[in-house]
Amino acid sequence: MNEEQFEVKVMDYLADVMTVDERAAFETILKSDETYNQKYKALLKSWNSMQNMNAPEPSESMDEAFYGMLDLALEKTKLKQRPNRLFDGLRTILKPQWALGVVLLALGVAIGYWINTEDTPDSVVLTESSNEAQEIRQKLVLTLLEQPSANQRLQGVSEANKIGSADEIVIKALLQTLNHDANVNVRLAAIESLTHYVDQPKVRQGLVQAIPNQESPILQITLANLMVALQEKSSIEPFRQLLKEKQLDTTVQKKIRTSIESII
Amino acid sequence: MQDLDDNALMLKVKNGDLDKLGLLYERHKKRLFGFFYNLGNAPSESEDMVQNVFMRILKYRKSYTGEGLFAAWMFRMARNVNYDHHGRSSKNRSLEMVDPDTVRLEREEGDDHLDKKENTQQLNRALSLLPTEKREVLVLSKLRELKFRELAEILGCSEGAAKVRVHRALNDLRKIYIQLETV
Repeated sequence: MNEEQFEVKVMDYLADVMTVDERAAFETILKSDETYNQKYKALLKSWNSMQNMNAPEPSESMDEAFYGMLDLALEKTKLKQRPNRLFDGLRTILKPQWALGVVLLALGVAIGYWINTEDTPDSVVLTESSNEAQEIRQKLVLTLLEQPSANQRLQGVSEANKIGSADEIVIKALLQTLNHDANVNVRLAAIESLTHYVDQPKVRQGLVQAIPNQESPILQITLANLMVALQEKSSIEPFRQLLKEKQLDTTVQKKIRTSIESII
Repeated sequence: MQDLDDNALMLKVKNGDLDKLGLLYERHKKRLFGFFYNLGNAPSESEDMVQNVFMRILKYRKSYTGEGLFAAWMFRMARNVNYDHHGRSSKNRSLEMVDPDTVRLEREEGDDHLDKKENTQQLNRALSLLPTEKREVLVLSKLRELKFRELAEILGCSEGAAKVRVHRALNDLRKIYIQLETV
């Protein structure tokens, strides 16, 4: 065995990666050759002292700095993706179902206009046709929110944003989406849409009630931010309940704790 | 298995699922911190360097191919971060920044503890006198999760060459250790 072969073998022996046979063969060499045995013993001391080397635990500020950096990166990515979403939306509009929806909407407006033109003052005609358009849009929202494709449900939420003042049914549908939709992006969009109606007590109450139903950290953090902005005291209890969950993400835990403090 | 998972997670990060970087951070933060700390950096410096590694992972995520081990890719970045921190020009410098008195040992006082503390201080002093490359080889080989194959991937050499490098670095460390004891 030359010097380099010994160096390789002794490292395998120290790192305990040899098979039983290899180990036995190497031990025989160590017993029969005093020079190698001395070299091995000297090396063993350094190896053991290296293995005993310790490091302290990193502080919590390392975690804070990392997650701060990650949040920033996530926000930047979201901002970059916005124009793409617009194009995605346009592409969806070009789909046949959408073409049909647009035709139906136009038809509804036209029929409404035709029926009400005679003996009706201009302002009333305008109001009624816009009401009808609103109604059709609301129906469209409800239909889209029930579609199996997440993309279409997202489109449904985005249609809901275009409604000036959504009625109770649409708000209920949005809250249901927030609580039960399988897709995190759709739920997130539902929160965004519902923020237009936070002046309604039912919406605020619905948002608070949705807190325990969220498992995604993004949704939990978004709701925490919203509750802080609204200073919604009734959200404290659901957040406290959420904190008791063992599997809650550590960043979310910190975020919720600071949110509770800000609301109190 | 974890390495396979790491690779899959990193590929997700590469494809825009940045949240997954949090999982990789949780898995590797301690040993990365230990790597920098055992190289002789102060705890706060080591924390900054861990942060820098993950910033680089994020910045260069598109260059990740998924070939080889994620840990090897990560530690190659960690080595670069350490070089950049101390200046590439002083690559083979003898480290003088380690003040053994600053080594944090938070256990209770006792004879064994004092012996251990002295040994640790002596070891840190000996390590600080090794050239950076050899010190790195030793600190990486100390991370028990890393096998020689993985160490070789980090160092960019064959497995046999990695073993020889660890062996020689250990020998050099022993010589410095003995010199310090006799001074």
